[in-house]
Amino acid sequence: MTGLDIFGLTDVGRVRAGNEDHFVIASMRKSVTISQSSLSPAEAERWQGGGAEAFLMAVADGVGGRPGGELASGAVVTGLLGYVGRAAGCYQQFSLEEEHLFLERLEQTVRDTHEELLRVHGESEKAPATTLTLAVLVGRRAYLIHVGDTRAYYLRGTRLRQITRDQTIGEYMMDLGAWTEAQASKASAAKSLASAIGGSELTPSVGLIDLEPGDTLLLCSDGLNKHVDDAAIAAVLGKAIPAEAQARELVALALAGGGTDNVTAIVARVG
Amino acid sequence: MIQKKICMVGVFGAGKTCLVQQYVHSLFSTKYHSTVGVKIDRKTVALDGTDLTLLLWDLAGRDDAADISVSYLRGGHGIIYVVDGTRRETFDQIFELQTIVTNAIGVVPSVLALNKVDLTESWALKPADDAAMAKEPWQVIRTSAKTGEGVEASFAWLAKATVTGAAQ
Repeated sequence: MTGLDIFGLTDVGRVRAGNEDHFVIASMRKSVTISQSSLSPAEAERWQGGGAEAFLMAVADGVGGRPGGELASGAVVTGLLGYVGRAAGCYQQFSLEEEHLFLERLEQTVRDTHEELLRVHGESEKAPATTLTLAVLVGRRAYLIHVGDTRAYYLRGTRLRQITRDQTIGEYMMDLGAWTEAQASKASAAKSLASAIGGSELTPSVGLIDLEPGDTLLLCSDGLNKHVDDAAIAAVLGKAIPAEAQARELVALALAGGGTDNVTAIVARVG
Repeated sequence: MIQKKICMVGVFGAGKTCLVQQYVHSLFSTKYHSTVGVKIDRKTVALDGTDLTLLLWDLAGRDDAADISVSYLRGGHGIIYVVDGTRRETFDQIFELQTIVTNAIGVVPSVLALNKVDLTESWALKPADDAAMAKEPWQVIRTSAKTGEGVEASFAWLAKATVTGAAQ
């Protein structure tokens, strides 16, 4: 990858007392740090540092409406730190020929965190749970794992596409053919999560997409998209400004729109 | 455990995702969602006493066959070409897709799924098309993601073919 401009931020919003969103951006490098060696400096330099770099970015949104929100928030942080460490380990073994193994290990990391949450807190409506949208950029290929209603979008040219599909009761019922779109829009349970890490159901969605130079990837919590529509997101991501400015503008729009939820955005533009 | 990568290929709206959903989750949705990039599902099947995991790569369909991203095909062990039997143009384009796929990864075991066979009133393929299909190295199976007809058979045939190396 010739360059990646990436920035993330989170905001508590205008209504919530605490912020249960979390995000992480991390780089992973296949590299070796040589402490001492009898090799020639040139040979040592060949192995020292460098190596292919990958970027991990993730947005997690602690499930609201449950008691123990603070607990959920803490569990999310712990989980995310686990992702970074374990995903970095996965990347050491990454090769394009075995990318499915890399994806499996990433997915397993998500499942392990889920199991750990269940083991510690049990399975109940009071137990901490979280959504997650995770992307790992290796070269221009973005590997994605998605749980719940945090989202990933990408902008190519002027066209914004939502990569992830919300894992909500409404979407699930429409999939079953039990609800029409109109029914789902009116049902109070429609926005409840059908899948969450630490929840009663976990069905990670796994995918990938090859990005092109100039493409912009956005990961966000629902605190953004409930106040900022696709057209507004596309307009911001289409501006010729740094990723930091884009992320700040998106969050500002969500706050201006009401800021009824915690809001988090990670913007990554492929150079 | 043996793993085989199966790519779902076809133009926009042919029913690739619905076939995977029916096969993996026994689900059929009437709500259409276009796939962005690649969605990957897994299903493990028993084949002659051995577990075989199928990695199902559901590639985004395009309006034009030539727009397919060949980088997604790399390492594919089998292909399911999906035609919407009620839309003649999806059949016409499948031969161009087949050429693109073969140029990218060579000849691998393949199924031609003639999908939406439940919609008999709107069926757009003619008996004369059978001759064109018969010339190509693929197994032709009529499928319905809605009723499940031919779905299990398509994946089962391809799973076995990827192991035995049978092209047709």
